[in-house]
Amino acid sequence: MLYRLAGIRHTTYRSARQLFPIPFDRKLLGFVILLGVAAPFYLSPLHLNSYLLPWVIWTTAALGLNLLMGWAGQVHLGYAAVMAIGAYAAIHATRFGLPLEAALLVGGLASSVIGLAFGAAALRVKGLYLAVTTLAMQSIVDWTIVHVPAISGGSQATLQAPTLRLFGLPIETDAGRYWYALGLCAIVTVFLLNVSRTSFGRALVAVREKDFAAAIIGVSPFKFKLLAFWCSSFIGGVTGAILAFCYYRAITPEQFHLEVSIQVVAMVIVGGLGSVLGSYFGAGLVLLAPIFLNNWVASLASALNLSLQTDVLSQIPLVLYGGLIVGFLLFEPLGLAKIYDNVRNYFLVWPFRHAR
Amino acid sequence: MQEPEKVLEIRSVDRSFGGLRALKEVSLHVNRGEIFGLVGPNGSGKTTIVNSVTGFYPPDKGDILFEGRSIKGMAPHRVARLGIARTFQNLALFRGMSVLDNILVGRHIHMHPSALAALFYWVWAEREELRHRDIVEETIDFLQLQDVRDTPIEIVPLGLQKRIELARALVSEPRMLILDEPMAGMNQEEKEYMARFILDAREERGLTVLLIEHHMDVVSALCDRMTVLSYGEQIAGGKPAEALSNPRVIEAYLGTKGREHAA
Ligand SMILES: Nc1ncnc2c1ncn2[C@@H]1O[C@H](COP(=O)(O)OP(=O)(O)O)[C@@H](O)[C@H]1O
Ligand SMILES: [Mg+2]
Repeated sequence: MLYRLAGIRHTTYRSARQLFPIPFDRKLLGFVILLGVAAPFYLSPLHLNSYLLPWVIWTTAALGLNLLMGWAGQVHLGYAAVMAIGAYAAIHATRFGLPLEAALLVGGLASSVIGLAFGAAALRVKGLYLAVTTLAMQSIVDWTIVHVPAISGGSQATLQAPTLRLFGLPIETDAGRYWYALGLCAIVTVFLLNVSRTSFGRALVAVREKDFAAAIIGVSPFKFKLLAFWCSSFIGGVTGAILAFCYYRAITPEQFHLEVSIQVVAMVIVGGLGSVLGSYFGAGLVLLAPIFLNNWVASLASALNLSLQTDVLSQIPLVLYGGLIVGFLLFEPLGLAKIYDNVRNYFLVWPFRHAR
Repeated sequence: MQEPEKVLEIRSVDRSFGGLRALKEVSLHVNRGEIFGLVGPNGSGKTTIVNSVTGFYPPDKGDILFEGRSIKGMAPHRVARLGIARTFQNLALFRGMSVLDNILVGRHIHMHPSALAALFYWVWAEREELRHRDIVEETIDFLQLQDVRDTPIEIVPLGLQKRIELARALVSEPRMLILDEPMAGMNQEEKEYMARFILDAREERGLTVLLIEHHMDVVSALCDRMTVLSYGEQIAGGKPAEALSNPRVIEAYLGTKGREHAA
C-alpha cells in the first residue's frame, strides 16, 4: 500500500522524464528536505555539528567522487588531495582579499586544473596503473603542502580559515554554517540527478561500459574521461573548501591524508556506484559506523578490564572501511542504494508479486 | 545514364596482425543508395575491413575514401561525425542504461553534452532532450521497440538487442550504415524482420548500406552487389547471382562448411 504505482500513467515525455516520476517519492523527498532544512531547530548543537554537518559535507564529497567512479568508471585514490587543494587555495584566496564566493571558485578551479593534469597522465594507462597514478597524486600533494610553508601556514602547519561569508555578510552561527554546507550539497545533488538524464551523463556511462562502442557513435572516450576528472575534481575542491570553512575552520595537512581518500572511496562503494541516494547512505554509514564501533569496543574493553592503547582504537575505523569495501564489493556491488531499491521495488507492487 | 556516386571507396587496403595478413589488397566501392554485401567464411577478414573503415584498425597500406575524402587513420569518433554508423558482430550495447537511453546516446553527435547544461537542466537541457526524444521515438516506432523502451538493456532478449543496436545506429542519421552480421544467432522469423527493416531503412532514409553476412540466402536476397572474401583475399564480386556461382566461392564455402561441422 505504500507506493501505489497503479494508475500512474505518464502522458508526455516530459512527465515520464521527471526526476521523481512517482508521487509518493516526491512527498517523501519533500518531507526529508524539510527535516534537513529544519535540523538546527530540533537538533542539539552537538548532534548538528558533529553528526549532521559532517554527513552533509562528506555526502557532497562522495557525490563528487561518485561522478568519476560510478558514472565514468575511473578509480581515484587521491580524492582527499583534490579536496586539500581546494581548501588551501580557497583559504589563501580569501586571505588575499577575494570574496568567499570567488574564493570557492578559485578552490574548485585549482583542484580541477591539478586534478586534470594527473587525470590526463592517468588516462594514458589503464586499470591498476590508473589507481597507482592517483595514489601518486595523493603523495605529491601531501608532500607539497607539508613542505611549502607558504601553503601549509608555517611551522605550526595550521591554517586558520577566515569567517564564512555569504555575499559579504559574516555567518557565525552553527545553523548558518550548516545551511551553507547543505546548500552546496543540494546543488551537487541536483547536478548529479540531472546528469543521468542528459546527453552528458549518457556519454559518460557509454564510455565506462564500452569505449569502442561509444566512439563509434561519436563520443570521444578520452575527452569524456577528462571531463569527468575535471568536474569531479571541481566538486572535490569546492567541497574541500566548505569542509575547511564550515567544519574544521582551521586546517592541517593530516586532515587530507590517504586514510581520508580511502574513506571517501568506501562511502562511494558502500553507498553504491553511480547512485545519488547511495552517496547519502554511504557517507552516513562510513561516518557513523566507526563512532559506534569505537564506543562499543571501548566499553567492551573496560567491561573486560582490558586496557586498549589509543593507537589501536584509532586503527579500528580503517579496518572497518577495508572490511566494508571488500564486503560490499563481494556481496552487493551496487551498494546500500541497491538494497534500498530492492525493498522499494517490493513495496511498489505490494501486495502483488508480479512486476509493474 | 549518370555515373553512380561512390560513397565509400576502399583502395588496395592491406592489414596484418603480427604475421597474419588479414587483408590482402582489398579494393571495393559502394555506390549511393546501394546495399553492398561483404561475404566470406569466418575469419576471412570481413570485420577487419569494417574496423579499418571505422578507424579502429587503420590499414597498413592503401586508402579509404568516404564521399571522396580520405578517412584513413581517422579516429572512430571523428568517422562517426562524418556520417558513418555501424553495428557490431558481438553486441556492444551499454549495460546500466535502459533501452531508451541506449538509443538516445546514438543522438550524441547532434546534441550538446555539457556539465553546465546538466546543472541548469530546466533552462538549458530539457528542451533539447525532449526534442531529441521525439526523433528517437520515430525510430522506436519504426523498429517496433515500444514494448521494451523502459527495460534495462541486460534483460532484453538477444534478437531484440540486435534491433536496438540498429536503432542506435539509425538515430545518428548516418548516410552510410555498416552492419556486421546483423542476423547472427537469429531464428528465421527474426531474420525476416531484420531484412525488412534494412530494406525499409534504405528506402525511407536514402541510406547506403554495407552488409556483412555469411548467410548466402540473406545476401542474395538483399544485396545489389557484393564481394566475397577468403583468407583476406577477394575471390569474386559483382551481382550476387554471378558471384555466388563462381567456382572459387563454392569451394571456399564448402571447404569451411566441412570445417565448421568438424569444429
Ligand atoms: N585484433 C586482432 N588481433 C589479431 N588478429 C586479428 C585481430 N582481429 C582479427 N584478427 C584476425 O584476422 C583474421 C580476420 O578476422 P575477422 O576480420 O574478424 O574475420 P571475419 O569477420 O570475416 O570472421 C582472423 O584470422 C582473425 O584471427
Ligand atoms: Mg566478423
